[in-house]
Amino acid sequence: MSRRIDFFRWLIYYSFMIKIKDMEFEYYDRDEEGNLTEMISAIRGIRFEAEKGAFIALCGRNGSGKSTFAKVLNRLLVPAEGTVMIAGIDALNAENALEIRKRVGMVFQNPEDQLVGSVVREDCAFGAENLGVPEKELAGRVDDALEAVGLSEKAEAPVESLSGGEKQKLAIAGVLAMGTECMVLDEATSMCDPASAREILQLLDKLHREKKLTIIFITHNMTEALCADMIYVFDKGRIAKSGRKQAIFANTEKIDALGLEVPMAVSVARKLKEDGYLRTDELYSVGEICARLLKEHPYAFVKGVKLEAGKPKKLPVNPKSAILFDSVSFSYGKNKVLDSLSFSVAKGEYVVITGRTGAGKSTLLQLIPRLLSPQSGQIYVDGIDVNDRTTDIRSLRTKVGFMFQYPEQQLFAENVYEDVVFGVRNLGISEVEAEKRAYECIELVGLSQDVYDLPPDKLSGGERRRVALAGVLALQPEYLVMDEPFAGLDPEGRRSMEELILALNKEAGITVLLVSHDLDDALAHADRVICIENGCVVTEGDPAEVFCAQYRDGGVKAGVPFTTELMCTLRDRGMELSPPARTPEAAVCEIERCLRK
Amino acid sequence: MMRNLTIGQYYSTESLLHSLDPRVKIRFVIAFILLSLPDRSVPLFALLTVVFLAALLLSRVPLLHMLKGMRGLMIFLCVCSAINLFTTYGETVADLGVLTVTREGLIKTGFVLWRLLLLLLFSSLLMYTTKPTALCDGFEKCFHLPSQVAMGITIALRFLPVLVSELDRIMKAQEARGAEFHKGSPAKRLKSLKNVIIPLFQNSVRRAGNLADAMEARCYTGRKGRTRLVPLKYGVNDLVAYLVLLTVIAAGIFFIIHF
Repeated sequence: MSRRIDFFRWLIYYSFMIKIKDMEFEYYDRDEEGNLTEMISAIRGIRFEAEKGAFIALCGRNGSGKSTFAKVLNRLLVPAEGTVMIAGIDALNAENALEIRKRVGMVFQNPEDQLVGSVVREDCAFGAENLGVPEKELAGRVDDALEAVGLSEKAEAPVESLSGGEKQKLAIAGVLAMGTECMVLDEATSMCDPASAREILQLLDKLHREKKLTIIFITHNMTEALCADMIYVFDKGRIAKSGRKQAIFANTEKIDALGLEVPMAVSVARKLKEDGYLRTDELYSVGEICARLLKEHPYAFVKGVKLEAGKPKKLPVNPKSAILFDSVSFSYGKNKVLDSLSFSVAKGEYVVITGRTGAGKSTLLQLIPRLLSPQSGQIYVDGIDVNDRTTDIRSLRTKVGFMFQYPEQQLFAENVYEDVVFGVRNLGISEVEAEKRAYECIELVGLSQDVYDLPPDKLSGGERRRVALAGVLALQPEYLVMDEPFAGLDPEGRRSMEELILALNKEAGITVLLVSHDLDDALAHADRVICIENGCVVTEGDPAEVFCAQYRDGGVKAGVPFTTELMCTLRDRGMELSPPARTPEAAVCEIERCLRK
Repeated sequence: MMRNLTIGQYYSTESLLHSLDPRVKIRFVIAFILLSLPDRSVPLFALLTVVFLAALLLSRVPLLHMLKGMRGLMIFLCVCSAINLFTTYGETVADLGVLTVTREGLIKTGFVLWRLLLLLLFSSLLMYTTKPTALCDGFEKCFHLPSQVAMGITIALRFLPVLVSELDRIMKAQEARGAEFHKGSPAKRLKSLKNVIIPLFQNSVRRAGNLADAMEARCYTGRKGRTRLVPLKYGVNDLVAYLVLLTVIAAGIFFIIHF
């Protein structure tokens, strides 16, 4: 009898990779004696289906239950209630764990802590080894998987030598070598530079098409979400919205309310339609917008004219600049990271440094407050030689506020207030004054008074990052030097961080120098962009000009902001757009001006 | 001080020693340690030094690189020699007030240093020439360890550099906010050390959790039935190495008995 029921179940679920009904999941928080102190419902009633070969994006703000959901798909977590069938197998039954993990592979967010092997090939084999794949077959599987992700040449390289993007590709290869049918990626691109993120997405698309892999990926980047056939938006443990991209992004307010943002391509197309320049707004990429404009307004394009953008001129190094690098070289052992690099930052400027992972950006920042010392060259802050023996390090480090990447991982005190006040106490000023400053700064970064006594780990990731920033601001620095302050935040968190830093620069007059992969923000807000490659400054100057030059040199692959891509592509097609726009709104204005002519 | 710890990190190059089976290398190290236990015998130590130098040449790992990696252990070596230097009775060579240096003390210290250096260098040569995974496979086979223990060691080795760089980052982040780790009273230093250890520990726990998830997701169960991409197999070189090992042991025993 039960056999027959099993058979029917199997028949029903066979065509679906994943079928979930009424799923609920709770996290329990217990005190030392094991008493229940808190219960958090991470997922409250979800219905979800994924057909074989589907390409699905999961979006939502941080803490909306996406990651919990992803872990259930792999049976890393077991829901309290509901039915979860994966490839026709019941995921609630503990005996089926391996069967499910064999079919559903998972790639996690952090490239640093999901790889087990020390050598690329070994790590790739790990999953397949666990499955007991015969030794003869293993080598072939591993080589095929590495080939598919484009890491064949690095098969014997140590894992530590790979860049973040390559590590993620290796994780994908590891899943492929297991021979899975479905791959779940939990924010796998969020810690990569834009060029690597693009490569990974193209890789997923290829695997989906060629190997008919079912792909489910979580992302905060709405432009990435556009690649998927179906988008599910999570909010407070429920699926708030699901459907194809057309339906999802139809209503801007609703998307904002869910903590997301409308992709720039969609908002540009929508504005053009509203203003009567396009008949449709169902356009989801620069290519589609350009093709449509060309079709509806052929007269606006001058055939055969390719407008050349001027190369951004290299600015002469001004010895009176606030921060000055004069042919600085730095190497770790034999590995040369910075190669006689020179640039300057003026007082009150907002300067963004961009470049691929491993270009030497983080090292460069650490040289400013002398956390590292260069082998040759000089660095000046306010005309003072940073590496001079007589320079007072303490006053230098008070003047230059420095924040590492993911500073929230470096909080150490028992409560927020103690952490913020740490730096101020080191200054040796009175406790009353220190306290005053700490409170001011916690308020300045937009946190409420309730958090003063909370342990940092009770706060969300975005809030913790604000605490770290408050700790730096409490020193009342004249300069803020930050390594990727926006990395890993959800759209909402990112936007408010952007606003905060902009306000510190424009209103408080703090000079800002940051490394960022958020190119759209750099284009919109920075006074200047410095692009670094292999330890040298490649281009620097006005953001629009720098990104334009970048686009000419490497095309979209080099990683350019959306607005630049749009403007440059249209110009290449012969539209006479004049000064380069810095925001999508400005781009729309410029395009409309051209169309009116 | 801990920031430039490189002892035990695989040194990637191609050499005869790199290509040997880890089991051979592990047994060599064990024999080496056992042979160096008996007290001061110059011929025996000379034999061990020759064995070490031969291995060093075959490994193609630069000696300077190894010595640099041992900088962190210098304090340990200094303390060991100081104790031997000042606490041995005998014919006085130099009188430094409270402390006296004796001839016997000097000789003993010399031997202790010689022995410790040989031991440390020889065993780190094993780490430098063997990939962590192979090393653990070797340990598993040599000592009949449960596979989970071997996996634990593999992971510890894999994450050691990650933790070191994380420690560096945490310390720098606090230095940037005016912390000074090399100044102040011992109590103050201890307190500032606490501020470093807590986030390091928290991050390690978080990392461990993530890694556990990642391993489970890749079907790791800790049970039997795992296959190996590169299974351990003895080659001709390994047999020759075993013969060499037997000869060394025989010679060592001969020296111990006769000198």
